Amino acid sequence: MNEPLFSQLSTLGSSVILLFGITLLWRKSLHAYTDAFQWQSAALTVMFVIIGYFGNDPELYVVAVFLFVLKVLILPRYLERMEKRFGDQRESQPYVNIVTSLMLSGLLVLLAYVVARPLVLVSDLPTRGGLPLAMGLIFVGLFVVITRKKALTQIVGFLVMENGIALLAALGTFGIPLIVELGVFLDVLMGFLVMQVFVYHIHSTFESIDVDQMNELKH
Amino acid sequence: MIGYLLEFSQALLALLLAPLLAGFVRWVKSRLQNRRGAPVWQPYFELAKLFGKDVVMSNNASWLFRVAPYIVFASTLAVTFLIPLIAAPLPFDNIGDLLVVVYLLLLGTFFLALAGLDPGTAFGGMGASREMTVAAIAEPTIALSIFSLALGAGSTNLGQIVIATLTNPGVALSPGHLLAFAAIFIVSLAETGRLPVDNPSTHLELTMIHEAMILEYSGRYLALIEWASWLKLTIFFSLLANLFVPWGLALTLTPAALAIAVATLILKLAILGMVVAMIETRIAKLRLFRVPELLGMSFVLALLAVTSSFLLK
Repeated sequence: MNEPLFSQLSTLGSSVILLFGITLLWRKSLHAYTDAFQWQSAALTVMFVIIGYFGNDPELYVVAVFLFVLKVLILPRYLERMEKRFGDQRESQPYVNIVTSLMLSGLLVLLAYVVARPLVLVSDLPTRGGLPLAMGLIFVGLFVVITRKKALTQIVGFLVMENGIALLAALGTFGIPLIVELGVFLDVLMGFLVMQVFVYHIHSTFESIDVDQMNELKH
Repeated sequence: MIGYLLEFSQALLALLLAPLLAGFVRWVKSRLQNRRGAPVWQPYFELAKLFGKDVVMSNNASWLFRVAPYIVFASTLAVTFLIPLIAAPLPFDNIGDLLVVVYLLLLGTFFLALAGLDPGTAFGGMGASREMTVAAIAEPTIALSIFSLALGAGSTNLGQIVIATLTNPGVALSPGHLLAFAAIFIVSLAETGRLPVDNPSTHLELTMIHEAMILEYSGRYLALIEWASWLKLTIFFSLLANLFVPWGLALTLTPAALAIAVATLILKLAILGMVVAMIETRIAKLRLFRVPELLGMSFVLALLAVTSSFLLK
């Protein structure tokens, strides 16, 4: 096992995955969101294969296959179908504007470094360099969910956050048991389908998937 | 003595290569767009033509308008003495490090903006204010991303950074380096007035930045400013090429090593030129209000680069 190479590859891979997460904040159209998510999931698949190879855990290859099918093939296709149905959805006025969100995402990653620092210091895993980045991705995903107005972009934010959790788990444990991993995938799929149903309902009630309009329910 | 000779020949090389690089980018771009394109040495003819022409100046223009081209040209030329173009370490490394490089470039931008304001035309003022908007975000990004390299090398000296990468080649693929490369690449497009920030091939757009500032210039002043802006392109490309992929730089001052260094420099510049031409063919200009967002992205990249090279040491 080539440990320096593994450590370098895992940090590099985590950075790429995080970058796709931050790209979300820069883009506006739902199509770009879907693309970024798809690329991120593809990078995550590669990351799983790398961890499986260097960590000698063949189970991770199976997980990678599932991940590829679910997050690179199925979910983006569903997202595109919804996008077609609702027309071109642009995140034209998020709660926090783009430049500020980018700066804040930088700060969130710094925060992730600070939070993960004790962990990184005591750990002697070769993948420890990626841990703060994975945590940063979780924060960025959460930030997308909080600050974006369209229901669909919020779903992508949720999926990106989930990618972050999967990356953190893989980097920290070199693969949790297969059954747990499959459970998580099923969970994501279920969660996604439930949210999809919600989005359809929001759309048929409000003629828009802008969640801001749901404030009207209060009156 | 030989060190000084090297310094001067390196600056001369940059000065002579700069129009060629600009011509090359234009040529590749026109080929990609199915045009024949002007020959690559066209910029030399343009310079010769402009130097031969008379200067026409507005009556309202002050002394500032007259000295600005010289300051812009001189500050840009001074940078070529300080960056490792064909050899490292340089004898002038002790004179200026990366901060001097960044702020010499900013000095040129500053005087160009002042000169844009000076004759009091609407376009000049508009261009100056836009240029300053871009520069205000671009400069800290360059400084930050070169800092991330400096942290890895333990020195802000450009020559030292290059040598540190050469002695430890694995560093070149670390996330800090790659993120910083992406950040500087975006910023160099913005700083040298290329697409998607500014369109270098037109004077006719309301959204122009660089061309709006120099609209009032003619004759040798225009020649100096154009030359300086091509030189700036060369400087940014060679920073990208030699800080991140330093292989080929001469570490000893033998003729063979220097010849290899010049050849690899030209090769690297040609590759970067082709990449930029391809990007310029593929993408459209960003709306002006989207430009700070793009630069914000590159700032975040630079910030992440510094973080990862600082905390992962």
